[in-house]
Amino acid sequence: MTASAISIESVTKSFQRETVLRDIELEVEDGEFCVVLGPSGCGKSTLLKCIAGLIESDDGTISLDGRDTAGMSVQERNLGYVFQEFEETLFPHKTVAENIAFGLEQGEQERSPDEIEETIDDILALLAIEETRDDLPGSLSGGQQQRVELARQLSRECPIMLFDDPLADLDYKLQKRMELEMRSLHADLGSTFLYITHNQDQALKLADKLVVMNHGRIEQIGTPESVYHNPQTAFVCRFVGDSNALVTEGVPTDVGDGVVEVETEIGPITATAQNGAEKETGIVIVRPEVVSLDAADCDVTFTGVLEGKTYTGETTEFALSLEGLDRDFYVVVPNNPDIGAIGDSIELGWNVDDALYFDKLSVTDTVTTSDLLDE
Amino acid sequence: MTMSDTEYSGTDVSTAEPTPGATDDVALDVRGLTKIYPDGTLAVEEIDFSINDGDFCVLIGPSGCGKSTTLHSLVGKIPVTEGEIRLGGEDITHAPTYERDIGLVFQDFQLFPHLTVEENIEYGLKRLQVDADERTDRVTNIVEMMRLEELLDRQPEELSAGQKQRVALARSMVLEPRLLLLDEPLGDMDYKLQKHMERELLRLHRELDTTFVYVTHDQTQAMRLADQIVVMNDGRVEQSDSVERVYNEPATAFVSAFVGDSNIFTGELTDVTDDGSCAHIETPLGTFLATTGNLRSEPMSLVGEQVPFSVRPQYLELDSELDNSLSCQVDDVIHQPGSGTQIILEATTTDGDTHELQLKSFDRIEPSETVTVGWSAAHATLLEQTSVVDGIDLETDILGE
Repeated sequence: MTASAISIESVTKSFQRETVLRDIELEVEDGEFCVVLGPSGCGKSTLLKCIAGLIESDDGTISLDGRDTAGMSVQERNLGYVFQEFEETLFPHKTVAENIAFGLEQGEQERSPDEIEETIDDILALLAIEETRDDLPGSLSGGQQQRVELARQLSRECPIMLFDDPLADLDYKLQKRMELEMRSLHADLGSTFLYITHNQDQALKLADKLVVMNHGRIEQIGTPESVYHNPQTAFVCRFVGDSNALVTEGVPTDVGDGVVEVETEIGPITATAQNGAEKETGIVIVRPEVVSLDAADCDVTFTGVLEGKTYTGETTEFALSLEGLDRDFYVVVPNNPDIGAIGDSIELGWNVDDALYFDKLSVTDTVTTSDLLDE
Repeated sequence: MTMSDTEYSGTDVSTAEPTPGATDDVALDVRGLTKIYPDGTLAVEEIDFSINDGDFCVLIGPSGCGKSTTLHSLVGKIPVTEGEIRLGGEDITHAPTYERDIGLVFQDFQLFPHLTVEENIEYGLKRLQVDADERTDRVTNIVEMMRLEELLDRQPEELSAGQKQRVALARSMVLEPRLLLLDEPLGDMDYKLQKHMERELLRLHRELDTTFVYVTHDQTQAMRLADQIVVMNDGRVEQSDSVERVYNEPATAFVSAFVGDSNIFTGELTDVTDDGSCAHIETPLGTFLATTGNLRSEPMSLVGEQVPFSVRPQYLELDSELDNSLSCQVDDVIHQPGSGTQIILEATTTDGDTHELQLKSFDRIEPSETVTVGWSAAHATLLEQTSVVDGIDLETDILGE
């Protein structure tokens, strides 16, 4: 049994009186692509800095390949670290090749000048930026600079790579391209990646293991599929992927097999209890893509009025108004079906499995139902 | 500024009547707009587009495509070199900014930080010296419509992003502009918040019934918000059309690749079917059948020419009996819960070069290492040209590099 690449036990960190990390427990296995996802201020950046040794945690243990990092310097940890603000980390007066060479010369591993040249060529080819070899960083596009920074960090061949939302500032098309490159780099290199982002879409695409953080705590750890389909709290369900939320009124009635009947803004609903079923207020969440516009075979059916339609090429999103609900209810379907005109009455429905009831909103007690409605 | 400064001063913006002869349903009409900056830079060249009354129009293109210059020309922030801008039939090409009957919403909304919500909304009316009674009426109306009653005494810093957006729109809409320009207002937000704000903005647009022009470089945002998209590239308009047409009937390969995902092939058009509906295209990956339905030229006139065609990833299928098929290596499989499977494929040309393809399925699929992908001729759309701009490298142009 080998040790985890990164092992975090009971890590806590406060700045002044504010606790930014509380009892963090996380194991990242060797070669895993682990993505930490959470809203701004959830503590994910602080966690990354604690691992890198840029910030010291107040309490708890961080081990890298089984070695306790207490007292270990940033250099001794031998980690690759790619920041979002990559422009600031490249030397402006050195060429791309010199920038990469500098990192290699500073590394622990002894390399001859020939080996360094060869490593530079290999890594530039891997990232498809051979033509920038003799350019200064300032003359490159944002995407090229980002790839140079990636090259510089990856060429050091660190077994563990940390990424701080490295694609956040890139234009959409380049971001999509780089997401694919991150996946193939990870597959080719076999190193352990710990990657933080606030972008759900990116997290679901990249992660082997997904960690959802909120208010300095971990809400859930799992594969993207399990986090998406089996969220442990309402926060996770709302934050990861798209959803419709309905506020409940009164304690639900348990009808067996983990199914409850509960009163909501749009009337009584039968739903699957994800956690608890004792509280006066809770929330029922229905993902837009599980709602059917062919209500014939559905467990739960409603009638709404079509208010808006958004066709995006691959899918169409319908905005419906339901009686009792002061927000739109969204339904997403593949392609561009004709379901009627704006103002038409529309039948919709879903199955009990697809409506998730939560009375535990979050692992923290600071989250309220109105927070979850984005108001 | 020219003579128009004095000529127009004192006119009440809100009561300006469209000139006789203006068509009712066109809000904005831009013809032959050209801007050459003093240093000689040709920022936009012969831009044409028009927007129907009440539509949500999105201007989109890679960095440096000229969308900001176009926006600044509409507002009157920069003088245009040539061309004409008509708003509600009225020629505003050389009118001063305050005379244009155009509202503006900026990135991060830029509310006045030291004024309350109510003062922010009333500000423009005061500047236009609208009398107090009318000011109260108009503020009350817009506040009710935008559901801001509870927030009137708040300072901007006390508002959530969604509330700020509503106040920014109210502040502009209280002036009853003919057109509202939105300059990447959601540019800097978290992913989740951005999605929420997009929906909110669509809802507000429905309620306000005003013409919106929205500038962004984000394709998905454009697709989610727009009735009409104007795709720009290197100072030119590639296509100005509905979302449906831009996606399904792209004017150029650039449009197809820039808006949504697509697989682009290029080859020689060798032959047209008897009924003219399809053409055979001989590419380095093989010969494929593609629909001529999207071409403006007579298909026969293109025989012997190099032409691109595009297939959207959702129309590629694994191991199916369709008009076209191609053997590929599977490079990567991405299962994204809630939206299906994306497969990155690699095909090899007769010269030994590799060509990347993407397949998208709404279902979860697990391909083997080598697969045969197929697509119907109807979903292989022949394109008139690569781009309105000559000699571009599609890949680098689209990535903005």
